[in-house]
Amino acid sequence: MAQNQPTWLKLVHRAERAVGDHVEAFVTSDVYFDLLTQGTRASRRVLQAAESVSREWLHLWNLPASSDVRRLHEQLSRVERTLADVAKEVNDRAENGARPKPEKPQ
Amino acid sequence: MTPVLNPASVISRINRDVERSLLRARNGVRYATTKANVGATPRDVVWRRDRAELWRYRSATPIRYRPPVVIVHSLVSRSYILDLRPGSSAVEFLLGQGHDVYMLDWGVADERDADNTLATYVDEYLPRAVAAVERESEVDEVTLAGYCLGGTFASLYAAGPGTSVRNLILMASPVDYSAMGAMVAAVREGRLQPDELVDESGNVPADALYSGFFMLAPTKQVAQYATLLENLWNDEFVEGYQAMSQWSRDHVPFPGAAMREVVDELVRRNALMTGRVRVGTRTVDLGDVRSNVLNAFAEKDNVVPPEAAEPATSIIGRPERRAELRLRGGHVTFATGRVAFNHTLPALSDWIVAHSTELDPPKER
Repeated sequence: MAQNQPTWLKLVHRAERAVGDHVEAFVTSDVYFDLLTQGTRASRRVLQAAESVSREWLHLWNLPASSDVRRLHEQLSRVERTLADVAKEVNDRAENGARPKPEKPQ
Repeated sequence: MTPVLNPASVISRINRDVERSLLRARNGVRYATTKANVGATPRDVVWRRDRAELWRYRSATPIRYRPPVVIVHSLVSRSYILDLRPGSSAVEFLLGQGHDVYMLDWGVADERDADNTLATYVDEYLPRAVAAVERESEVDEVTLAGYCLGGTFASLYAAGPGTSVRNLILMASPVDYSAMGAMVAAVREGRLQPDELVDESGNVPADALYSGFFMLAPTKQVAQYATLLENLWNDEFVEGYQAMSQWSRDHVPFPGAAMREVVDELVRRNALMTGRVRVGTRTVDLGDVRSNVLNAFAEKDNVVPPEAAEPATSIIGRPERRAELRLRGGHVTFATGRVAFNHTLPALSDWIVAHSTELDPPKER
């Protein structure tokens, strides 16, 4: 199939490999992963700093910031997970023919 | 000697080029405005738990072999790679060979799945899904075919006590994580920390996974686009390209707790290579797998290199029940392309048939 390729396509493939081999060597190097990690940490720090400024400003006006919504979302997910676990346990017991034991009053 | 220009051949060439230009324009618009028809084989959901679903595929071909084939998909990609499009689908191929085919799809993980561990998949979902297959198909054994990380889950499950896995197939399933390439090495050496990969949902976002796979060959896309441009007149090529490129961009979030466990246990401890892996509160010994085991991997796989998959042949299962299938092609040689349909899938089907029971007469679905 490669033999039937037009010349321009062969040239593109050859150029891509010429550049690609070097790029691939770089993106699999220790330097790249160190840069990636440093970059990720730096951008996270910048984002956190920006968030803390905007949060303070929004709280001044008694408005929720995105971090408040996120925290709420996380709490909701935890509740949902707990509920799902309970529901699964009840279902499993029902499937196995056992009835869930009623909780003793405290 | 200079070639003589034949007017008839010049005219036919111009005609062909004009025709192809029109087809390129039409297919270009179609490519930009429509989505590929992926995962189209008719199916029924026969079991579900949380986001996980078990699908049983329908077909006009009667079932000729038992036990049914249950495909256990990977956790970080979409399962439609194995049912890519009509006429080019691994699922369709296996149905056509007379197998009863199921797919265990883990769904798209969200915040509710962030605490899922390896035990969630191996000890909670898999036993229930296999029980559902046995109920649905009225059998007491299954063939488990795990793709990529799904192969690891299937192996860990098959090594457990009282399982009913007659055959275990590993498709591009990593075992030696020290041979998994630079990104995994960066995680192993601590240059990339698992917690840095997790977002506020508690999972590794799909975008991060896509970037990881994209960076394996970042310039390849240029060559692929050029090839697409040249073949844009060809409907068949464009449909295949569109489906494949859609899948390669379409990842799913990796549950955070499972990812941390994969990093600690499989990547840093390289536990699969020792044959003993901690799952929840127990230790699984891969030598306890009593099934027939086929380890299938591809020579040009740059996601799970052959060096990472090959050791399974000497670790999982009993030595007298192990087999190996070394394939041409890359990570998707199980799913798409000429090699898949001419070599890979026929070889897989032949192995399954050789380790299955033929139904006489075949059973209508």
